[in-house]
Amino acid sequence: MSKPKDYTERCRLISNAFYNQGLEKAQIRDLTGASLCLKRSLAFDKYNTDARNLLGLIYYEIGETAEALVQWVLSSNLKQDHNRATYYLHELQGEPGKLEDESIHIRRYNQALSQAQNDNSDLAILQLGRVVEHKPNFVKAHMLLALLHIGQENYAKAGQSLYRVLQIDKNHPKALWYMSIVKSHTGRADVEKRKLKNAFSHHQMQDDDIILPPTYRESTGWQMILHIAVGLAMGVAVIFFLVMPAREQEMNGIHNQEMNEVLEQVNQKSMTIDQLKADAAAMETERDAAVANLQTILDENGGVLSQYQQLAHILHAYKVDDFQTAVELYADMDPTMITDEAMQAIIAEIRKDMEERGYQVLADLGNRARDAGQAEQALAYYQKSLNIKADNPQVIYDMAMVYQNRGEEDAANELFGQVIMNDPDSELAARAKEARGY
Amino acid sequence: MINFEEELSHFKPSLEVEEVEDAIVDSDLTDMADIMMALVREGSEKKRSNE
Repeated sequence: MSKPKDYTERCRLISNAFYNQGLEKAQIRDLTGASLCLKRSLAFDKYNTDARNLLGLIYYEIGETAEALVQWVLSSNLKQDHNRATYYLHELQGEPGKLEDESIHIRRYNQALSQAQNDNSDLAILQLGRVVEHKPNFVKAHMLLALLHIGQENYAKAGQSLYRVLQIDKNHPKALWYMSIVKSHTGRADVEKRKLKNAFSHHQMQDDDIILPPTYRESTGWQMILHIAVGLAMGVAVIFFLVMPAREQEMNGIHNQEMNEVLEQVNQKSMTIDQLKADAAAMETERDAAVANLQTILDENGGVLSQYQQLAHILHAYKVDDFQTAVELYADMDPTMITDEAMQAIIAEIRKDMEERGYQVLADLGNRARDAGQAEQALAYYQKSLNIKADNPQVIYDMAMVYQNRGEEDAANELFGQVIMNDPDSELAARAKEARGY
Repeated sequence: MINFEEELSHFKPSLEVEEVEDAIVDSDLTDMADIMMALVREGSEKKRSNE
């Protein structure tokens, strides 16, 4: 009989062989096959840490977090030093809320399973939809979801879940079986079958295969005519279907080009016309401005020409020593319209004389008109006097009195107010106050 | 064809995180080496008792 140590060693070797097999399967994502091998490996040697850790990793990959935890905790207890399981546990527990989330999703799956087993498939599908949304690698949830979709004959959705499962675990036997059923219902199986048939349908020539040459037969007379007719018909068809469209396309291209050139010319002409119209409009505007200027110059009352005429009359009045006429003419004149520098000097002298003497002449004329009962005329003279010398309290007072006599109290009071404001202690101010009724 | 009810009955609840502790305690860690050792021990005892 063998020694106990031999048995242990043999068990360890077998365990290791299964582990290697499991590792190979895991590397090609045959997770179901890998987990079977790893379980066998652990059945022979529970201390095979690598096998146990890999099994935990596979559980974690298919969404069985609690199963993974069991394996990693056992592994870290069986071998405490240099164990990768410690790292896995640390990673899982180190992320805040991770385990709580996992717990919620697993519990939700269990609820969905219970609902499905109690004929409440719709609610279970909703529940599972939420689970796989948050935990997309949870194979069990995908499988149950696929089964429920198949139960409702919703094969497309079942196919989506199964596709996801087979991405995670390529050889999941039940997923493959469900998928074959889904494919048979969606027509996908026939498509794949046809593709497979086409892919391998090419017949490879063997040594004893014989190529039979086509037989040569002399054509009879009517056959020759038929062949010629067919040939002609084919020629016509070729011309009609191949040559004509190409020719037509070419002609269309030439016509389009010509049309584009004509359109370009029309555009150029249109632009020239627009430019000419714009020039004409600008010229019209310039002409209107010139006419307006000319009208300003020729204007009878306020025109520049009439201002020069007024100035000539004023100078003539000075010459004949008729100061009153000169004053009256100056009052009606707008000297700002004469911009000639030579004339400006003459106007300045006249203005000075008017400010010294002229305003009084107009005030006297106003008084005379007032005394003659010509209130309107008097107001006009007073205004002209004020135009020459604005701060003349006597004229303002006289003007106010005329307004008051005419019953225009507002205008009168305003002018009385000016008199009072300008020199409150004067005799005129006192009279103005009295006139206003203070 | 799938027998829906039968298939559904094959699905088992997933192990919850809260149940991990119990699962670890309940784990049967007996391996082939343990069984072989037990058999060897039993064989030795039988041999001794026969002698």
